[in-house]
Amino acid sequence: MYRAYPYILLFAALALLQVFLFDNLSISVYLSPLVYVAFVVLLPIDLRPSVVLLSALALGIAMDWTMGGAGINTIATLPLAVLRRPLLRSICGEENIREGGIPSPERLGRGSFLRYLVAMVAVHHLLFFVVEALSWSRLPYTLGRWLLSGAVSVGFIWLIARIFTAKRIAKL
Amino acid sequence: MYKLIEFLRRIFVPLLFIVLEVCAVVYYARSSVYTQAKLLTRSNQAVGAVHGALTGVRRYFSLGGENRLLLERIATLEEELFRYRRMTADSLREVQLAGVEAKPYELSVARVISNSINKSRNYLVLDRGLRDGVEEGMGVLSPEGAMVGRVVASSERYAVAMSILNTSFKASGKIAGDDYFGSIYWTGDDRYRVRMRELSKYARIGEGDEVVSSGFSQYFPADIPIGFVESFSLAADQMSYDVEIRLAVNVSQLTDVVLIRNRDLDEIRQLELQARSMKN
Repeated sequence: MYRAYPYILLFAALALLQVFLFDNLSISVYLSPLVYVAFVVLLPIDLRPSVVLLSALALGIAMDWTMGGAGINTIATLPLAVLRRPLLRSICGEENIREGGIPSPERLGRGSFLRYLVAMVAVHHLLFFVVEALSWSRLPYTLGRWLLSGAVSVGFIWLIARIFTAKRIAKL
Repeated sequence: MYKLIEFLRRIFVPLLFIVLEVCAVVYYARSSVYTQAKLLTRSNQAVGAVHGALTGVRRYFSLGGENRLLLERIATLEEELFRYRRMTADSLREVQLAGVEAKPYELSVARVISNSINKSRNYLVLDRGLRDGVEEGMGVLSPEGAMVGRVVASSERYAVAMSILNTSFKASGKIAGDDYFGSIYWTGDDRYRVRMRELSKYARIGEGDEVVSSGFSQYFPADIPIGFVESFSLAADQMSYDVEIRLAVNVSQLTDVVLIRNRDLDEIRQLELQARSMKN
């Protein structure tokens, strides 16, 4: 049984980080990290699929509201809820995820967690940027945004995962 | 019966996912820049105060630069004042003042509390809203007078402006001192440059020429600086130029903006509505 408080805190912290920090980055038009996806990435492995789906929906709607996304964050976030389990199964093997736990470098191993994280971020960011651009002529630009923003998101989510799964936070 | 319930239980999550995803796609497909701006306006009623506080901190560190700009502006105005004082003929002065009164545009200022440049559709959130007289349709300029965007939605305390760095933003522009005009738009991949298409091949154009608003827009008066010609080439139809323009404003550095209201906008819109209803 996982306590809800750390996840409520994580949800709020990620939403605040996204709205007040990452949305206002003025470094490059190619750099638009979407770190809020860490919430779905870090949900317990054995959480019921319906709860994962509704959590992803709540996250998508919250981000659409705060970012003025009109549905685009929900479109990109919902598939993660469905793909999460098959991705974990194919990367870590069924026997390794049967016991549940919070996906983290410690729980899955650094290599497996990184592959899982990269796959989740890649799917989410690709959907987000393709739907946002909706243009073949802008494909190189869309791919550039996907690669750069995705790489930066993976870096930040890795850090967030380390902080979230640190013993002090887990005991909350 | 048991098998049916078991089957429904098994497909419940995928089915719910498909329903939710379709709803999100339909909502997004029906949305426009105005939908997004309205969402931003509503969310800023909740988070606008925090944005304002963070902007205050950022502004503190840019005070030196702002002071320098203010001094430059004061110097320019002092120069104009000096020239004005030298005008000895009272009649000439009266003509000038009458000209100011007759101008159909009204200016006000606002602070930028949130500004994105890394999306296809970028917006600026301003700390002035309906209670300050800021409403949809007002043009947004930089403190130096360059084109920045236009207000697309406003709440009581905040307004959301569509940035010139928004792929849905369109404006009419021309080479300063020339009459041929073209359509200004942003391609989405460079925050320092926009493009102008459909500029007649008879236009007098050269690299470094200033590009200004044509005055055909309801939102901006004529001769508002947009940028400078960086390169140009004939379009595929050989009848018009495609022009790359370096923007006169660095949108990512904006902390304050000037809002410009066309006093005749309501009248123009009413006339347009009448014309449309007559057509129908």
